[in-house]
Amino acid sequence: MRVNPNTLPDLLAALQQSQQQINTDLAEIASGKSVNVPSDSPAAAAGLVQNASDTSAADQFLRSIGSIQGEVQNADSTLNSVITALQRAISLGVEGASSTLNPADRAAIATEVQGIQSQLLSLANLSYQGSYVFAGTATQTPPYVLDPTSPSGVTYVGNSGVNSVTLGNHFTMQTNLPGSQLLSASGSDMFQAVQDLITGLQSGTGIAAAVGEISTAYNYIDTQRVFYGNADNQLSSQQTYLNSETTQLAQQQNSLGGADLAAVISNLVNAQTSRQATLQAIGGTIRTDLFDFIK
Amino acid sequence: MSSLNASLVIALSGLSAEQGALEATTNNVANVNTPGYTREVPVLATNDPVVVGALTFGTGVDLQSIESIRDPILESRIQQETQIQGQLNALVSALQQTQVNFTGNSGDIGTAISNFFNSVNQLSADPANLSVRQGVLTAADNLATAFNVTANNLTAQRGSLDQSVAQTVGQVNQLSQQIAQLNTQIADLQNAGESAGTFLDQRTHLIDQLSGLVDVSVIPSDNTLTLTTANGSVLVAGQQSFQLQTQTSASGVQHIYAQNVDITGSITSGQLGGLLQARDQQIPGLETQLDTLASGLANAVNGVQAAGFDLNGKAGTNLFNPPPAGGTGAAASLSVAITDPSLIAASSDGTPGSNGNAEALYALSNQTIISGQTPTGYYSGVVFDVGNSTANASAEQSASDQILQQLNDQRSSISGVSLDQEAANMVQYQQAYAASAQVITTINTMMLDIINMKVSP
Repeated sequence: MRVNPNTLPDLLAALQQSQQQINTDLAEIASGKSVNVPSDSPAAAAGLVQNASDTSAADQFLRSIGSIQGEVQNADSTLNSVITALQRAISLGVEGASSTLNPADRAAIATEVQGIQSQLLSLANLSYQGSYVFAGTATQTPPYVLDPTSPSGVTYVGNSGVNSVTLGNHFTMQTNLPGSQLLSASGSDMFQAVQDLITGLQSGTGIAAAVGEISTAYNYIDTQRVFYGNADNQLSSQQTYLNSETTQLAQQQNSLGGADLAAVISNLVNAQTSRQATLQAIGGTIRTDLFDFIK
Repeated sequence: MSSLNASLVIALSGLSAEQGALEATTNNVANVNTPGYTREVPVLATNDPVVVGALTFGTGVDLQSIESIRDPILESRIQQETQIQGQLNALVSALQQTQVNFTGNSGDIGTAISNFFNSVNQLSADPANLSVRQGVLTAADNLATAFNVTANNLTAQRGSLDQSVAQTVGQVNQLSQQIAQLNTQIADLQNAGESAGTFLDQRTHLIDQLSGLVDVSVIPSDNTLTLTTANGSVLVAGQQSFQLQTQTSASGVQHIYAQNVDITGSITSGQLGGLLQARDQQIPGLETQLDTLASGLANAVNGVQAAGFDLNGKAGTNLFNPPPAGGTGAAASLSVAITDPSLIAASSDGTPGSNGNAEALYALSNQTIISGQTPTGYYSGVVFDVGNSTANASAEQSASDQILQQLNDQRSSISGVSLDQEAANMVQYQQAYAASAQVITTINTMMLDIINMKVSP
């Protein structure tokens, strides 16, 4: 049986193969990725597309949470000031109801309550990063304007719109309370209550009733503002959840397309050894044949 | 009755036969590195004997022919495998270039889609903010650019494959001409009763090269052969070659004609087959998928825009310029129609602070709006398709390489020149030549003996 006398092409083909293996391994080590082009692993490449999209979305949710949380915390601390102001108004009203006072004294108290009224107007028109927080969705103009023709002294020109924002997969959250629901709701309108107290102090009658109104408004707002406290908590816990989801996504990304450095380096060493051996074999192929021995 | 002269003639026949055999050996050694060379073996045969009375005398040796050792079935098998390898090489090379567009780097379509929806989510959290709105326009612009760039790359690749098709056809024509010429030379020699070994080797080598370029059927006949493509179009018939023509078709790519018949669709093998497969199937398929994605996204986004209100309380207008009806060319022509950020329709009720429509826009990212899949889901399917086609073709290419290597090893074991063997042959023929020469010397001495015979007085 005659054997192939020319083995050089086979050795060269083996050499090329080992070189290709070395190149692939080096690329994987340099990039840290086992999937550098889709053909490296089509299913993993497709999975990585989805993974990248999910990771990017999670990062965006965290950013959106950041900007909403600022507004929510601002609103909450503003409402804290409102509550404090109303408390002050209540004590002024109680003082003004005392029968030992004369009209001049009551007038002085009324002036102080007017100061509180201005403060409440300014707090109700809270603006955060260019938008009015308690205006519903009419956020480009102040929701409360002074209006001498109105019984409460102000008119609400915002609306009752509420926004919900998607902040996670299947997770949306309401992000605002309109002033019409919170501050000037029918039956517990803080402006009306304060105006009534001023009128009462100036006229000398109905002070106790006005104080009762302010108490009602105070309790109502104190209850309503829980919305903002809850919102803050929800945002924080969603933040925690998203952070852990980001970690999981990173792990998934690594398992789909990350290089197993130990295995790759071991492959590289094998390929280099094989290449060395092949080179030596080829070198030995420059061998002697019968012609060298014929004299 | 024998004669010294007869012996002389026999010895001479030995000399010339061994000399001729030595020539064959020398030719083998000289051609040890010639590609496609098949080793030659001298065929020595005894001359017919003469009968004189009761005695039979031999008449020496004759170098009948110098035979090339080749296996035609193996040759044919090698040609078939070469066609397959040629096709796979062209296909893999094209696909590897194509898939670079889908590697998940920062400019690619998948990332651009994510970034667009991210910008919409930011809008939803702060709908009246002009710089956030500008962010949405920028992201939309980047998305359009990602589609444009990818579509243009695919078009450019299709163009360069087209050029390669034309070049390859030129090479095929050249080889056909050369083979036809060789057929002439071979026929001449064989008709004159001579062995055409070297020309046959050259012709086989050329047919191998042709097989790498196009699918070729070899039909041998009397003293010649006919070459056709797999579907029967003639390339070479005996001593005449038939050129292939290329013509630009209605769709702008080169089509291949054999004697005025369009054979483009029937070439499936060889380098031409691979190029055509990439140019006419793989890349157009990919372009269609991208068009589907681009037009689906643009139409869905425009639809949501129209259902909402912009910052000025007016009904929303198109964010993207409407893609072509039917979708073809949508990816290459995708562009943003708005430059004023206040025109983005984030509001669902006309008030500037409402984000209802922005939420609806964001919801598109999770809706199955592209052929039953979400936009990202559809794109990941495209990535899988490209990677899978490339990986499969590469695997087939490796297998084909190995088969071809084995076949070539086999051919080499049959037809390859072994220097050891030629050295041994050389010794053998040289010794025989020396022996015949010695015989002639002896006969010469014997003749001299006769001439110098003296009759004693």
